[in-house]
Amino acid sequence: MSDTVLLPKRLRAPEVVALLDGIRRSAEAGPLTLDFRDVEEFDSSTLALLNYVRGRLANVATVNIGGALARAEESFVRRPTSEEPEGPPSGGLPSRALTITADRFIFQVKSLGRFLAMLGDEVYHVGVYLKERKGVYPGETWNQMFFMGYRSFPIVCLLIFLVGVTISITSAEQLRLFGADIYLADLVGIAMLKELVPLMTGVILAGKVGAAITAELASMTVLEEVDALRTMGVVPEKFLMVPRLLAITLVVPLLVAMADVVGIFGGIVVARITFGTPPSGFIAEMVTAVDWTDFGWGLIKTVVFGWAVVVGAGFKGLTVGRSAEEVGRATTESVVLSITLIIIIDCLFSFILY
Amino acid sequence: MDIISAHDLAIGYGRTEILRGLDFAVPEGRITAVVGVSGSGKSTLLKTLAGLLPPLSGGFDFAGRPVNYRSEASLRLLYEKIGVLYQGGALLNGLSLFENVALPIRMQHPKLPEEMVRDMVFASLAQVELAGSADKYPAQLSGGMTKRGALARALVLDPDVVFCDEPSSGLDPITSALLDDLLIRLKETFRMTLVVVTHELRSIERVADKVLLINDGGLRFSGDYAELAASDDAFIRTFFLRKDSHDDA
Repeated sequence: MSDTVLLPKRLRAPEVVALLDGIRRSAEAGPLTLDFRDVEEFDSSTLALLNYVRGRLANVATVNIGGALARAEESFVRRPTSEEPEGPPSGGLPSRALTITADRFIFQVKSLGRFLAMLGDEVYHVGVYLKERKGVYPGETWNQMFFMGYRSFPIVCLLIFLVGVTISITSAEQLRLFGADIYLADLVGIAMLKELVPLMTGVILAGKVGAAITAELASMTVLEEVDALRTMGVVPEKFLMVPRLLAITLVVPLLVAMADVVGIFGGIVVARITFGTPPSGFIAEMVTAVDWTDFGWGLIKTVVFGWAVVVGAGFKGLTVGRSAEEVGRATTESVVLSITLIIIIDCLFSFILY
Repeated sequence: MDIISAHDLAIGYGRTEILRGLDFAVPEGRITAVVGVSGSGKSTLLKTLAGLLPPLSGGFDFAGRPVNYRSEASLRLLYEKIGVLYQGGALLNGLSLFENVALPIRMQHPKLPEEMVRDMVFASLAQVELAGSADKYPAQLSGGMTKRGALARALVLDPDVVFCDEPSSGLDPITSALLDDLLIRLKETFRMTLVVVTHELRSIERVADKVLLINDGGLRFSGDYAELAASDDAFIRTFFLRKDSHDDA
């Protein structure tokens, strides 16, 4: 003989939650019948309860389900009852892991191919623009120069100055041990001109300029502005990228020149405070160790880093998907890609220069 | 005469086929409505016809010439003859409305004198009754103004065909009706061909000379509105006439 539970008139989520444990316990004790005859107010949790009882509690019967509840039950979408998980294809864990790894590898190789293709296209577009002077919005290069140069100048100077100070303080202590105080000027000059200014400027550009470019282009892609440009007969890869590439090419020499001065100034300040070296003595010693070639290579490196940042950022921005959340993801990936490219290129330059 | 004719067209993204076996024609100087339930592939079809998404198989002719997605020249030719009104307008946020409308002129005809560019832009803005808002930026425009501004940009180079993706979406009934009137006026005054993707039934009834109904991965109906209204197809009756097929029984 089974017990019968007459369910209340209102059987919504709070009542279902309150009743569920009692139903489970009663079902363990013996057969049970749930009588729905009085139920008038219900929601999806009521339907889920029905589904749960029928699927999981074998010795619980449900009776007197009628009216609106019966009609709602017909249209209720049930979770698949099969115990087999949905989703990934069959096969053991090693097989699935191998498939996923292979898919990711192929995706990365394809992405690299697309990136290199875009780099080639951009070189071509810049060349064609310089020859024909069309396909780019008038004045856009100046706007970009203002953003990349003027707006980046304070942060570049501040950080490079601090790097100059830090490298000088760290080195000064060691040089003092060998009585080689004066060589601080040589060290700061070489480190700043050839390595630290290009590298730090590149990284700052990746964080500030690259992220902004990706966010802007990705938003334009999501909002169909890039499609709109294309159907206007405009080549977005030229219209959007050429001004930015020209701007970075023109702005970087100014940034590097200023950053070199500021970074070395940081060294001068430390040398003056630590060793009492006069600025003129510092500079006189420094120019014996560095020359214009070092400045030139630093400049070339930074221009290449700048291109890596702009092309990397543009690539991420223009190949973004169609949802807003992908804009954020693309921006993060753009910064990581740019910094990775900068370090790889820097490493390649080291093989060439040293 | 048909300005667009598709032959066994299949479209989709990557390996995913969304529509297949499409054979249809878009008559010149008429308004063709592409309709279907949400997610049926209307906008995807528009992208293919506008030269943005290559077909998976088959193809289509534009003005009697096949469109070759592998040829930049072929696509450029297509882009010169079309204008597109995107769902959200897709005006460039950094440019004023005037500059947005002037953009296609400046890009296609960079040597055109500034006075002529201004005249063309204001003529286009006047058509959509936005000449007084030329200096505003997209962020300062209402939804209806954004759509009309985007339409002005699509019209400024007098394209043969204008594609409109959900022109009424997000607009109130009055603004939506005004936009419909504008589309009808463009057709009647300039003999312009319009392809309108929509699922606004009132709008379809008012503007469409021809209807292409997409459903279940293919073309369910192609014909004029009168044929559509007389159709016995249960889905068509449910979709267009909002009449449950059970009612007929």
